[in-house]
Parts: sequence; structure tokens; C-alpha cells
Amino acid sequence: MKLSLKYKVLTIVILSIFISAFLYYFGTKARQEQATGEALKDYSYIAREYALDAIYKSTEFPVEVELYPSAHTEAILERWKAISDRYPELDYPESAIEARDWIEVHKAFEDTDLLNGVIRKMYKDATVTSEGLGVSYITLLDYIFYQKYEASNIEDVVIDLGIESPREEE
Amino acid sequence: MKKKKVIIVTMTIVLLIVVSYFAFQLVNQNQDIEKAIEQELYELKHTVEDIYAIEFLDNDRVLVFYSWSFPDYSNFGVMELEKTWRGWQFVEAVSNRMEMKNAWLKGVYAEIGDYAILRGPTWASVAKIEIITGDGREYIPDLGRAEWQMWYLILEDEPFEEATFILYDSDGEVLKEEVLEFDLNWPE
Repeated sequence: MKLSLKYKVLTIVILSIFISAFLYYFGTKARQEQATGEALKDYSYIAREYALDAIYKSTEFPVEVELYPSAHTEAILERWKAISDRYPELDYPESAIEARDWIEVHKAFEDTDLLNGVIRKMYKDATVTSEGLGVSYITLLDYIFYQKYEASNIEDVVIDLGIESPREEE
Repeated sequence: MKKKKVIIVTMTIVLLIVVSYFAFQLVNQNQDIEKAIEQELYELKHTVEDIYAIEFLDNDRVLVFYSWSFPDYSNFGVMELEKTWRGWQFVEAVSNRMEMKNAWLKGVYAEIGDYAILRGPTWASVAKIEIITGDGREYIPDLGRAEWQMWYLILEDEPFEEATFILYDSDGEVLKEEVLEFDLNWPE
């Protein structure tokens, strides 16, 4: 059986169309999956750090996640604001917080040099010493996000500075 | 001759579609639910999660109770999966932050699909919980154990805003009585 040139060309054209459609479809799908994975990772990170409640409506493209502040979120924001009131170089992005744009909110913690400056100033202003303690911006973040006092004497510092009220004697 | 060729090609394509449909069905029939849950939780990109209970609503619908967020596992979630021709598929998930600290138990209300679900963490020493609502209804929620202990109630009748929770230990002694309030309008 001998195919005419016309048929050969037609077969090649049809095959090429199929292959292009196939490649386009899977290329787009792979890109969407990557974007989906990254978005979900961001939501997961932000929900964990800010103790947010979350409703996942779609985990496929386009991702649909709603985040809501919990009671624990309010406590984080309170600690943050108390420090920011005294050390305004630590930005407290009120409008982004009100708009619940958590990814934008988190940009306030991007500059670690600035955070190091804030914690150093806090220790300088307080009457307690930090000698022998590895105090860094991590100490500040641990305090704001987890109210973690261990591995430093940040609790004494925030009480000394009047950021937190003194412990009740047990 | 030409007609015959067309028929053969068409028949082959139809046969391939039918066979692949049944192949899909067969694969999905035997899909392991635990693997599917693991995969869907992985898709959510939660950092290390823990499964407390898997509840089948019917043959094709399942609710998974889990908690996540390393190292405290204080984000308590419930996820609905549905069986479709593509296998088990994600429908919806709700995650709530509930830190135990000094509390005996915590609880939140959430709607998922057509179901009202109450759930929260409680201590491991609690062996049984009795819920008594203001209008006299009584429920015994299920308990699931993993990193923490989680109680959950899949409610088919009217949800309630407030109820007394009586916590018992394994000897049947009352450990604690507590009133919990639920925000039925959450998240609005």
C-alpha cells in the first residue's frame, strides 16, 4: 500500500497538533502544580506561625484557603504591638493586619538586622544583663510568636521594660 | 476497503477508552484509604501531622481527624474525602488552633459538607466524655488518640451553643465538669 504525499503530510500535521496539545497540557499542569504546592506551603507556614484557623476549600489549581485569627493569634499580635509601641522601628503593620493579609504582615520580620537591633536595644534599656546568653533576633521571634522564655532571660527583660506585667508570686 | 479501515480504527479507540475506564475503576476500588489520606495531608503541606480517627460517613465519604504543626501539634483539623472515578479526592478541610495549656478540654464547632462537627483536644487521662446540652440532649463523643487525645462528635441533629461536658477517667470517676460554648456562626 502506497500513501500519497497528501496523506503523509496530513498525518504529520495531525500528529504534530496532538503532540503540541499534549505538551502544552502537561506543561501547564506541571506549572500549576508547582504554584499550588508553593501557595499551600505558604498558607501552612503562615497558619502555623500566626496560630490561625484555616478553611481549605480547594487544594488544586486555583488554591482556595481562608485564614481566620484565633484567640492565640490575638495574643501574638498583642505581644508584637507592645514591643512596637516602645520600639517603633519594629513595624506593626496595622492596615495589613486589619485586612488579614498575613503574607504581607509577615514581611515586617524579613530584616533580621533590624530585629537584632531591636532586641539589643531592649537588653540595653533593661536593668537585667544578658551576659553569657546567646541573645539574637530568634529570641525576639520566639517571644512574640510562642511566648517562649527558655534559653534566654527575655521574660525578665519584658517585665523590666513594662511590656509584660510582673509574674504573680505563687 | 477505506470504510473497513475507518471502522477498525474507531473500534480500537472505543475499546481502549472502555478498557482504560475499567482499569481506572479497578485501581480506584482497591486504593488504600490510608495511603490516600497520607497523600492528601501531604498536599496540604502541613508540617508533620498525626491522625486520630477515620470515620466513614458512607462507602464513598470519609472524615479524617488529625492535628498538625510541629512540635506542638496544636492545630486540630478535620478533612473530608470523597470517592470518585479518579479515586479518593479532597473535598474540604477545616483546621483550628487549640492550645491545651491549663485547660481540661477545648472545643470548636465547624461545618463540613452537610455535617456539623464538634471537636477538640482533651488530656490522655480522660476515658469517657458525656455531653449534656441545655435542652437536655445527651451525647457521648468518640475519642481518638495520637499525639494528644481528641474528642469529636459528628452531629446529625440541631447544633447547640453551649453544653456541659463531664469528663470521666478509666474507673468511671468524674475528673472534671466543664461548660463549653460554641460559636455556631464561625467563621463569620
